[in-house]
Amino acid sequence: MLQPLRALAMQPCVYLRGGRDLQRLFVGALVRAIGLSLLIAASASDTASAAQGEGSVAERIYAAAPPRLLQIRTLVADAGRQTSNGSGFLVSADGLAITNYHVVSQAALEPDTYRLEYTAADGGQGKVTLLRVDLPNDLALVRIDKKGVPFFAFNQAALEDKLAKGERLYSMGNPLDLGFTIIEGTYNGLTDHTYTDRIHFSGALNPGMSGGPAVTADGNVIGVNVATRRGGQLISFLVPARFAADLLQRASEDARSSDVKPSDIKSDVGRQLVAWRSGLYKSLGEADFRSDALGPYRVPAAQARWFNCWASTNAVDTPKPRASVNSTECSSDTSVFVASDLNIGAININHSLVKTVDLNQFQFATYLVRISQPRLSVGGPFKKWYTPERCHEDFVQAGAAPQHPPLHVVWCAQAYRQFEGLYDVSLIAVTQDQSLEALVSRLNMQAVGYDDAVALGKRFLEAVQVAK
Amino acid sequence: MMWIEILSRQREVAARFRITASEVRIGRGYDNDVVIDDPYVAAQHLRVVRRDDGSLVAEDVGSANGTFIDGSKIGLSDFVVDGKQLIRIGQTYLRIRDVNHAVERELIAPPERHVLPIILALVIGVSVLAIDALKIWLTQTSEPRASTYFTPLLTVAGTLLVWVGLWALLCRIFAGRSHFLRNLLIVLVGLAAVSLYNEFAQYAAFAWTWPEGVSYAYVAVWLIFAVVCFGHLREIGRSRLWLKGGLVAAVLVGGIGVQTLQQSEAFTDSGRQLTVHWLMPPMLRAVPVRNKDAFFDKIGSLKGELDADRSQSRPGEPRL
Repeated sequence: MLQPLRALAMQPCVYLRGGRDLQRLFVGALVRAIGLSLLIAASASDTASAAQGEGSVAERIYAAAPPRLLQIRTLVADAGRQTSNGSGFLVSADGLAITNYHVVSQAALEPDTYRLEYTAADGGQGKVTLLRVDLPNDLALVRIDKKGVPFFAFNQAALEDKLAKGERLYSMGNPLDLGFTIIEGTYNGLTDHTYTDRIHFSGALNPGMSGGPAVTADGNVIGVNVATRRGGQLISFLVPARFAADLLQRASEDARSSDVKPSDIKSDVGRQLVAWRSGLYKSLGEADFRSDALGPYRVPAAQARWFNCWASTNAVDTPKPRASVNSTECSSDTSVFVASDLNIGAININHSLVKTVDLNQFQFATYLVRISQPRLSVGGPFKKWYTPERCHEDFVQAGAAPQHPPLHVVWCAQAYRQFEGLYDVSLIAVTQDQSLEALVSRLNMQAVGYDDAVALGKRFLEAVQVAK
Repeated sequence: MMWIEILSRQREVAARFRITASEVRIGRGYDNDVVIDDPYVAAQHLRVVRRDDGSLVAEDVGSANGTFIDGSKIGLSDFVVDGKQLIRIGQTYLRIRDVNHAVERELIAPPERHVLPIILALVIGVSVLAIDALKIWLTQTSEPRASTYFTPLLTVAGTLLVWVGLWALLCRIFAGRSHFLRNLLIVLVGLAAVSLYNEFAQYAAFAWTWPEGVSYAYVAVWLIFAVVCFGHLREIGRSRLWLKGGLVAAVLVGGIGVQTLQQSEAFTDSGRQLTVHWLMPPMLRAVPVRNKDAFFDKIGSLKGELDADRSQSRPGEPRL
């Protein structure tokens, strides 16, 4: 059956860490030195015929990779077997390597249960020590016990963000634990509508390749394999090299990195999460809401470019609906991988204009009940990560009538058990100025500071207005 | 002349013997005037004689198990019979009455069947069903279907009849009369109370933003259920009401306790309140609209509760 290629609502990203359950994603790895005959990629136009070419760029790149390309495995400490694997690459002569945070997250959060090992593409094996993590950019810096080894350099043009769309890239890793692989693809600039910069790479990344390097023809790193889009074709994402270079730079400036306790990393995860979220909500607050018209109302809409907006209607439903619902929904692709069972950070703004077709006042109110329940979307299992939800509801007037209609407002919030200062909040306002027509406005914020949530909530309610 | 009455366990007269002699012998043996087939009764157990002053005296003629009156645990060798005493020999109850034992006046028969309770039952029954039907109509947001009315209404009516039938049967067994109409009235009043409470709670949840009425509706329903059960038990018989009351109270406490436990465990597991945030037509709002600062002050105070939840959730565990 053909799959329609229209983009619908946002599809979840798949991280490329490999695990026993191959539906999970993983990062990947380096290459064992098997010279595959690959394409010469001098230009995009001659690649198809170059498959049989000798000394292709890919072949040359891969030939140099083995000692620098790693598979990083997470082992259950007591069982001594891998529970997930990804890739990584050396970035300094004294054994520092870059991978994804999500490749090492289990070892970062539960250092007593998990440990890390690497297998290099040249066959070398050994222990991996976690030094630093960068949660927002999904990067981690690790050390392996090797000195004076060759390593990957960063591509200068990539650090300065000067690459041209269409440039040929080569990504390496160990997909699905099948062995080190090099794949070819195209640089397509930074993705739109994302808060965190991600390179759009058109190439076949697979679970297990997370953390592997993507290089240009000169063999220098321009990004780190991180994720693919479920439901897309060859839609893959790289973390831009400059974040990896920053992480390396910060580590070399900080003497602490030579002797890191696992508990430091664990508390660093919480600190980074809180700091990153507060920056994000600050920039959302600074951008303020734009006022959009929706029927007889004016509604707050997100201005920030990293929101992705869609509309929907029930006008064409069968059987014919007894109330018409026209909705706009803006969501942000700002969730961040914290643990294999916790992805948090989505922001969601939803407005539904509901009008009766043949419902009376009471039936219409019942109809509204269905679509105005607070929904705290959870990023992971409740009992492990969240406290119980607490709600408050009331009738609120956010400003002077008649511009500001009376609202029925429900505010529900839950806290994160393990992250001081982070909460999930769901705010729903239903206009109360008319009995057969209403606006249901919803603001959902994951992993937000409470004061930020209150400030945004206030502005959100103020911006729900009756058009003059 | 006197009468010896042998009573059943329910203290109803099972057999009655008319004695014309001035002395009567009671026991298991066939040489008695009144023979009792009770293995715990002696062959010659009791003798009743009329004394010269006309009073009757009962005398235990040497049984092993003794003779007792009015539930007392002390066996008597002889006593004066007054006609009201409940006499126990072995496992058999007796009453001994003189011919001139005074009886109560006859009850006055009701002139005809009361119409009022029938009308009352009809009115309440129709209102209960009407409230249900109205509610279904007002919450109907999909395509209207006749079955959405009939199924719940027939279920309510059917359950009600079975319930009343069972209590009427119990009444018939233990009280001799089924009191069908009274039992029907009791349960109808209970159902009406539940319906009215639910409507009130839902109105209060919206109009006064007081959702506790809905969250704790089960307490009200259990209370009403207990009162209804007590009413039925009272119809069966007015005796030992404290015991029936205690039984009903135990069911009530147990029911509320179990349901509270269930809800609190479900809340611990899911972290979600079962409360539905209810909406009604805006004109039904009964509280003034708050300004947003007052509202957000309340919201601010939720933070303290959330932080308390967090510090209680895993005491001692280090934060990330």
